[in-house]
Amino acid sequence: MPSQRQLKSRIRSVKNTKQITKAMQMVAASKMRRAQDATKATAAYTATARDILAHLSKQGATNNHPLFEARPVKRRLLIVIASDKGLAGAYNGNLAKHYLKELIADDSAHIKTDTIAIGRRVTQFVTRLKDAKLIGAYEDLPDHLEGHELRAVMDTAYKMFEDGEVDAVDMVYTEFVSSITQTPKTERLLPAGQAGEPTDESIDEAEFEPSIETVLENVVYRLLGAQLFQAFLDARASEHSMRMLAMKNATDNATDLIDDLTLAMNKARQAAITQELAEISGGSEAMK
Amino acid sequence: MKFELVTLLGVQLDQEVYEVQLSTADGPIAVFPGHEPLVSVAVPGAIAVRHKKDDSDEKLEYFAIGGGVIEITPLGVRVLVDEADRGEDILEAESKAALERALKLRDNAKNQVELEKATALIDRHQVRLNVAGLRRKHRR
Repeated sequence: MPSQRQLKSRIRSVKNTKQITKAMQMVAASKMRRAQDATKATAAYTATARDILAHLSKQGATNNHPLFEARPVKRRLLIVIASDKGLAGAYNGNLAKHYLKELIADDSAHIKTDTIAIGRRVTQFVTRLKDAKLIGAYEDLPDHLEGHELRAVMDTAYKMFEDGEVDAVDMVYTEFVSSITQTPKTERLLPAGQAGEPTDESIDEAEFEPSIETVLENVVYRLLGAQLFQAFLDARASEHSMRMLAMKNATDNATDLIDDLTLAMNKARQAAITQELAEISGGSEAMK
Repeated sequence: MKFELVTLLGVQLDQEVYEVQLSTADGPIAVFPGHEPLVSVAVPGAIAVRHKKDDSDEKLEYFAIGGGVIEITPLGVRVLVDEADRGEDILEAESKAALERALKLRDNAKNQVELEKATALIDRHQVRLNVAGLRRKHRR
């Protein structure tokens, strides 16, 4: 049985850990809320871009356009989004598993895969893989994005697709379903999907300046940027919500551990007192 | 006429206005109620908004914007931009310092990526500085 002093120091250290995990839980909760709000704010942008695109597509601008052309896929680019830091439960692990599945599927379909990694953890994971080709790694992106941080990623993907280096661009990220459920997901970025039906007819008669192609390219570029942005925000919200859960579990465990240790400590103290009393009474008996 | 300024970070402005001045790829335009439907490309520059018909030039509200898309319908104007900064929020001295930093970055750029990044920064801060200058000119 450990001594009273050992128990005391263990209780103290667990208490310290508990304080830290509790703080991390609170921080993650507030960051998650902020990421969720940002996702909502982006929705207006995406909706407007989609609307204009729908009109363009109605005018036939998207037919035969290189950005919309579905080519047989021989090589594809994966943009993998995960976190810089650990201590987020199964967040990075789940995403890595999903990414591996994609790689294996590509391998059996004889598709070559390039990877752009966002987040230190996933970068480390990809560099350790023997067959994965990493063409870009982005780390330490701020929590509060302004939109231009992801442009480098976007430009690379756009250019590779335009030049025919890759035939498809996919994003692999964790979708934020709710604060309890987050699922790894693959989403196609390029070739751009077909546009839906326009929601209002008011710009059917509109003129396009300088040309319909320039406008189309601008709209598509912005829409793709917004999709990537939204995926990133989703990934961030998932990360924070999983970290929050992991830290909540850690805090609960620490509480249980403190209770157990306190019990053991009280037992040890009581045992020591009992023993002392027994010794005193034993001693006084012997003196008689 | 309704004017909506939409960025990735949310809707920056959504209200009834009288006139909007925009810079497009083909040059600057001013939009009044009843403008013909038009979809165009916005270049980095300033947007000026006149809220009421009788507002003088001093009362124009300015925004510094990055590139984007402009959509004009009979209902109003919708501008989709990468970034928008309200003129009032831009500090001239700060923008000037940032522009100088960006210029230095460009001079010291070691590769194409750094150069492109620096050029984008220069564009951005140049626009902001111009908008700050516009506001000062009108206030005098």
